[in-house]
Formats: sequence, C-alpha cells, structure tokens
Amino acid sequence: MTKILQRGVLWLVTLLAVAALVPNHGLAQEGRRVTVTGEISDTWCSISGLMFAKGTAHHQCAIWCALGGIPVSIRDASGALYLVLKIGDDEDSAANPRVAKMATHEVVVEGELLERDGVKYLLVDRIADDKGVILMTHDEHGIQPFGN
Amino acid sequence: MGFCLALSAVSASAPTTAAEPWNIPHEKQVVLKGRVTDALCHLKGRCASDCGGGKRQLGLVLADGAFRLVAKSNIDFAGAIADLIGYCGREIEADGLLIENPAVTLFFVQGIRTDASAPFTPAERFKTEWEARHGKAQEWWRADPEANRLIAEDGPLGIKGLAPKPRP
Repeated sequence: MTKILQRGVLWLVTLLAVAALVPNHGLAQEGRRVTVTGEISDTWCSISGLMFAKGTAHHQCAIWCALGGIPVSIRDASGALYLVLKIGDDEDSAANPRVAKMATHEVVVEGELLERDGVKYLLVDRIADDKGVILMTHDEHGIQPFGN
Repeated sequence: MGFCLALSAVSASAPTTAAEPWNIPHEKQVVLKGRVTDALCHLKGRCASDCGGGKRQLGLVLADGAFRLVAKSNIDFAGAIADLIGYCGREIEADGLLIENPAVTLFFVQGIRTDASAPFTPAERFKTEWEARHGKAQEWWRADPEANRLIAEDGPLGIKGLAPKPRP
C-alpha cells in the first residue's frame, strides 16, 4: 500500500515538473471551420475611427500599421473583424512583410475560427482567392491619414 | 481605521490609471494586471519558449482567465510587441485603454510596470528599437525601408500604375 502511495506521489511530482517546463498556455480550444471573405486591414484603424480605413485610400497606412506590428484583420461585408494569427505554415502574426503586402486586398480565406473574450481569431489555412485591391476610395478620401 | 483598510484594499486591487483618453468609441481607461503570453500559445497551445521572439501577437492573461490582446503602443502606427516581449511569461501591470468595440476587443497600452509601487514606463520601445536599427527619423513609418519597398512595388494605393491625383 505504501509503495503504491509512493508511486502515486512520484507520478504526481513528475507530472507537475513536466507542466512547469511547458510554456504556460490557456485553454487550448478547437475552433470551427470557416470561409471568410473580406478586406485585409489593420485592426487599429478599423475600430479607432481616427481615419477612413478602407480600400485604396488606406492601403499605405495599412502597410505601415502591419509592419509596425499592429494586428492584421480581415473585415467582412458586415463589418466583423477576423484577427489573423497565421497564414498557412507562417505563424508570424506581427510585422510580417508577406502579410503587409496584402494590405487592403480583398481575399477569400479558409481556416479555423476561435472566438474568445470579444475577439474572433482566425487561423488561416489557405488563401483561396486574392483579388488585390478592388475598393476604390482614394478619389473621395485621399490618401489616409495625412493626404500623402 | 476600517475605512483606511478598505481604501487600501481597493487601491491594491485597482491601480490608478494615468492613461490618456483618445475618445475612441467604446474606450475605457484601465490598468490590466496579467501574464504576458502569445496569442497562438494561449489559444491553441502552440507555444514558443520566447513567446515567438517578437513575431507573434501578444496579450495578457488576467486573473479571471480572460485574454486581452494588446494591439497598440504609444508610438504611431505601432503595436506593443517590443514593449511586452521582454516580459514573456511574467506578470505585469499595463495602463491604457481597453476598447470593447462590438467588432473586436483590444487593449491600447500606454505604460507598463512590474512593481506596483513604481511609475509606469511609457510603452514606446518600438521607436527606440526601430531607431537602433535604422537611425533617427521624425516619422518612422515614412523612413521604414520595408514599408517603402512595398509601397514602391505596388504604389501608395496598392494598384500598380494607379497614382493619386495631384493635390490642387
């Protein structure tokens, strides 16, 4: 009986030691499969209301923000924002030039959606379509936010 | 005495914010206390020992288990990864604006500290690190070589050959 107890304690100690070595993460969750269609943009400009944040007028600004490390989102037609945490095998979600190059592009992506604490996180598996920049807004709004 | 104890308990649990309001819809000045982690690790268990080494989005895990993505620093056009990455896995206090927009909830950090009795350090490390790599610039975004390369490739409107109309 004592041996069984000792073995149990040993297992528990080993388990705790292993848990301490693994980087602490939260409740890893399974998302749901989705297809999202929308414009790639920076999340900050999309919600701050500080400028017009769509289409050609916002392309340059969206590049700056993406390279500055502000999270990039896909905004769908309803205004919902899907914050991109990876694209394919590329898990660099901060200041990634590959993502910045797609600023204000209209895309169709497939991936996994995780909703947590007011954020829709999107793990993109595949870009099914990239139409490039199609929303022409610069004639009306100039180049945001400074006009040049 | 009882009142003083109650008051000190309140201030211990809710540090005073010094965050500057920006009048952004749904903003709220708050101090968040939590552990720095990267979003992919926290949400999916895909962890890197260094929180992604500055290449992943970061946030704070609060005592109630909520995860707050930290999206913006005090530097224009810049996130807060440079400010947070040095605290990967550690508890910090972050002073700023929590923006609970129905489309997305984000935190705009303006100051960071690890010692509750110390003042907040402005969240401006992005600029310091950028200038260490590229030199001084009034506006980092216009001087950034990568940004200028991308803008030169596709134009400021994102469509090759399409130029903005000359300003009158």
